[in-house]
Amino acid sequence: MDNVCEDQVYSSVFRANSKTLFNFIYYKFGNEEKAHDAVQEAFVKLWENCGKVSPEKAKSYLYTVANNTYLNVIKAEKVRLKYAEPTLERSNESPEFLLEEKEYKEKLDNALNHLPENQRTTFLLNRIDGKKYAEIAEMEGVSVKAIEKRMHLALKFLRERIDGI
Amino acid sequence: MQENYLAKWLNGELSEEELAKFKSSEEYASYEKLERISSSLRAPEFDVESELEKLKKDHIAEPDKVRPLQPYGKFLRIAAAILVLIAGSYFYLNLSKTSYSSPLAERTEAILPDNSEVFLNAGSKISFSKKNWENKREIDLEGEAFFKVAKGKKFTVSTSQGIVSVLGTQFNVEDRKDFFEVSCYEGLVQVQFQDIEKQLPAGTSFLVIDGRVVESSDPTTLEPSWIKLESSFKGIPLRYVLRELERQYDISVETKNVDTRLLFTGSFSNTDLKMALKSIATPSRIQFKTEGDNVLFYVEDTLQ
Repeated sequence: MDNVCEDQVYSSVFRANSKTLFNFIYYKFGNEEKAHDAVQEAFVKLWENCGKVSPEKAKSYLYTVANNTYLNVIKAEKVRLKYAEPTLERSNESPEFLLEEKEYKEKLDNALNHLPENQRTTFLLNRIDGKKYAEIAEMEGVSVKAIEKRMHLALKFLRERIDGI
Repeated sequence: MQENYLAKWLNGELSEEELAKFKSSEEYASYEKLERISSSLRAPEFDVESELEKLKKDHIAEPDKVRPLQPYGKFLRIAAAILVLIAGSYFYLNLSKTSYSSPLAERTEAILPDNSEVFLNAGSKISFSKKNWENKREIDLEGEAFFKVAKGKKFTVSTSQGIVSVLGTQFNVEDRKDFFEVSCYEGLVQVQFQDIEKQLPAGTSFLVIDGRVVESSDPTTLEPSWIKLESSFKGIPLRYVLRELERQYDISVETKNVDTRLLFTGSFSNTDLKMALKSIATPSRIQFKTEGDNVLFYVEDTLQ
């Protein structure tokens, strides 16, 4: 049977999960460098325990490790997220429109930095990574309903903050 | 709107009705913009292959590890997983009930999976299993509800006092403390109360007060009067009339020197408390006083 100790299996687990794990940690704490370190550490732990963790369980194992060991250390640090400017595919927009979009994005970035960490993570995993609520629930180790609640509150908070209510 | 409707909306899970309602709200444009622009956000670059290479070079040297033998480990894991799955689906299928309720002083309308309609009077609740609805049209009712049942398999309403079953019809069931009434407005209804089984054709009623079957007057209208925001009674003891008044207005009613066993015939409005109080007091020849959410019906004891 497949085993995580086999190089091929291990590499495929890494290819399937590392990017989202990186984003997951980045959304929570807004520190790129530490998100890189956290991914490395979680995968080292997985390698050390490869005989005990089946390939199917590897994903939840990685998120548990990331949640338990690493995140507590950097929790206290201030969040400063920046999202790479999306390349503008439409160049025929008016300058006013582009300016308005840019201003909106600045407000959105700002509002995101003020969101509680778990709501921000849920919101961005869905918006950027296209993750379903059930997948996010698995990563966070909570129920789908809890994720829906976080999403609902996140949307409400962002909208109110951006509209200045 | 259902719980967490913003999350449901984003996931395309709102019903058409809810979506239309949400779209007509003031804040919809803001949410729509938020949805559009947030989908263009990007996370920082992360090069999977170079990260993997770095990981292998820095941390993983020799892949010749000794693995502990676990001859039964896999079997036990699978067995446990199957057990959890069976238990989980058992609870999911059996316990996931949908329920609707209407609080005091309010009425609610619900559409069942087969498009049958249920109107809930004040202080009433229904629950049923959506999953199994096609095979088993069964509803638990506490309080009072009017049903317009779509044609199909047997449709059963269970209450604390009796069971009502039909094939496709319109009927009203009222299950209150010491009071149980079923009125059939269309089709044929079967009522089971203790060991009595009775067939009710359209335009007839079945009434039990204090555990005894009572001769009741038959409905003359096409639907119960409370649907039209009025509570009607024909020869019903006053105390049940007063309890209905409490439910319709979420108030508390007390009496002094009033014989609440006397039969009351008449109706009261479910929207105008002052009118309702007069409608009860005048034909009963009693007085009333109100104080906040409390009403006192009394008889002046001048004759003593």
